Amino acid sequence: MVFTIAIKEWKLLLKEKGTFFWLLLLPILFIVLFGTVFSSMGDTKVSLPYIDMNGTQASQAFLASLGEKSGYNLEEKAAGDLDDQISRIQSGKQSALLVLPQGFGSALAGSDGARASIELYSDPNSQTVAPLRSTLENIANGMRESKIEGALKAAGESDAQIKNTMAPLIVIDDKPQNATANNSVTQVVPGYTVMFVFFIIISMIRRFLGDKSSGMTARLRTTRMSPIGYLLGMWIAYLGVALAQCTVLLAFGHIAYDVQLGDIVAVAVVVFMLALCGTGIGLALCMIVRGENQGIGFTQLIALGGAVLGGLWFPIEYMPRTMRTISHFVPQYWAQKAFQDIMVRGVHLSGVLPSIAALAGFAAAGLLVALLRFRGFMQSALD
Amino acid sequence: MGDAIVIERLAKSYGAKPALKDVTFSVREGSCFGLLGPNGAGKSTTMKILSGLLPPDRGHVSVLGRDIRKSGEDIRREVGYVPQSITLYEKLSARDNLTFFGEMYGVRGAELKRRIGEVLERVGLADRAKDAVASFSGGMKRRVNIAAALLHRPKLIIMDEPTVGIDPQSRNHIFEMIRSLQKSGVTVLYSTHYMEEVESLCDELAIIDGGEVIVSGGLNEVLDRFGTQAVYLELQDAAKPPEPAGFGKPEPKDKGWVVETPSPLEAIAAWAAACKAKSLKVKQLEIVRPSLETVFLSLTGTTLRDN
Repeated sequence: MVFTIAIKEWKLLLKEKGTFFWLLLLPILFIVLFGTVFSSMGDTKVSLPYIDMNGTQASQAFLASLGEKSGYNLEEKAAGDLDDQISRIQSGKQSALLVLPQGFGSALAGSDGARASIELYSDPNSQTVAPLRSTLENIANGMRESKIEGALKAAGESDAQIKNTMAPLIVIDDKPQNATANNSVTQVVPGYTVMFVFFIIISMIRRFLGDKSSGMTARLRTTRMSPIGYLLGMWIAYLGVALAQCTVLLAFGHIAYDVQLGDIVAVAVVVFMLALCGTGIGLALCMIVRGENQGIGFTQLIALGGAVLGGLWFPIEYMPRTMRTISHFVPQYWAQKAFQDIMVRGVHLSGVLPSIAALAGFAAAGLLVALLRFRGFMQSALD
Repeated sequence: MGDAIVIERLAKSYGAKPALKDVTFSVREGSCFGLLGPNGAGKSTTMKILSGLLPPDRGHVSVLGRDIRKSGEDIRREVGYVPQSITLYEKLSARDNLTFFGEMYGVRGAELKRRIGEVLERVGLADRAKDAVASFSGGMKRRVNIAAALLHRPKLIIMDEPTVGIDPQSRNHIFEMIRSLQKSGVTVLYSTHYMEEVESLCDELAIIDGGEVIVSGGLNEVLDRFGTQAVYLELQDAAKPPEPAGFGKPEPKDKGWVVETPSPLEAIAAWAAACKAKSLKVKQLEIVRPSLETVFLSLTGTTLRDN
């Protein structure tokens, strides 16, 4: 009886084109869109227009070094374009302009204490200026170190002495701890998988309320179906759909973006608990809401609000401390954390047990509310 | 044969609003019983109680020899309920819908397949089995709606206004199906607000109004007891007929006129003489059978349509 209801529900969902769009195509579209946007951000070079009024070997060498170290795409402009370039910065059309003035080369070569200067015209509101300034300072420091090395050499110090003198006082010993690099796709793929699981609630609400208003629930009660059988059958149907949805989305991430899934057993358990949680909360909403529109409103609040708070759209570290604390109260946080622990940090099942327990807690709360309200739902369906 | 349904002093309220007050009637096994009344009379509430959907507030209800309060689940196995609304999944085919309902009634496998074939033949939709219900006309949907309640071969079928808004062809199909079910020994409880349907289909009836049974019994018995005989006159032209002396003012009905009277023979003679005296050409002059409409009118003082 329970599986008869579930099978009927699957047949209905397969006949509804919207199901595939909302539960599979749309999340895949989001993954592709945001995956592409975020992953290409690191590869895209920011343009940096410059005017070389000096035109010496020294200025050319400086620019070459800047292009190599900064990753900026240097664009040469003519000296006559200076006013136009400044006006573009003032109007917000570009963020910076680098000008190497006349005398730059001779000032660099001089030993009379003259200091070479470069002019950086910039929009202080632009986020690209601070890294540029830092790069320029690094190059200037490098040149200063070369000058000191030259002076030491001239003073008769050996190479070993110079190396010893110039050695940095602090060395950064890089020790990466995660199995896989945390990048945009390891954020986006599990993030949108988790987010769209909660949209299944809309389909659940439509079916429960549709059955109720059409008289189907009442009619089924005249068969041998028990009320709890109806609830279980519907729940199992959507649980299955959520499991299939997660599987497809994670497999897509793995195949299309080479997302390393990590311990498959651990991932499977998290997927199951996430599906249990999404459908459990869905059942509770089906029993609570008074109409479809109200149900859709609540679902959007849960799915989108939870996505922001749960760190599904951007890493949780970007959020203020208070928000990070609040995020512990949404199931999306625990699901995303568990997925990233497994996929990025190489954690196994035992390592994600707290997240699984949290998801189980949300699922249990949803199911409890659903059970408490179910009698009233059936009663109103029969009247 | 015993009674398939016995209802004694049944009462049911929705909050403070009483839907049924002290309803009593019984339905003979194997009969087609009409439950007649205007909208809001209490027919659907009675049907829902008999189907086990609603608990009665007061009174005794026995279905197929079992107390509905004690044996609700057992009764469900032997009762088919056809609700007033069409409760089918429109995107599924007729066969898929019937498979679903059959399994919900506990029928499975090859036996279910056979029964689905049977009921589809019975409702005249065997050739549309694979089509989505959404592509059906209202009448065809109603027929599938009924078919879904027959799959477990119930002993009692409860039909709540199964012909609302359908075409004559589907109505005839449904009537033939009900007659055939009755012939095979199934008891049919048929609710409607169409008097003609009860007159055409049912051998027993109860008229319910305002939550109370105002009359119940065999169709002929009720008509004889409460109906008034009448004489019907239709003239060749549309002229207003003369009054038959001593029988009151004729009332328009269909294309002619009617006078109600306990002495129809005398009324015919008087009316024929009156027409002859005025040289009016008579197309039709006959005694008409009492109708449930007149029964309802005589018992409530209003027509069913007024309700």
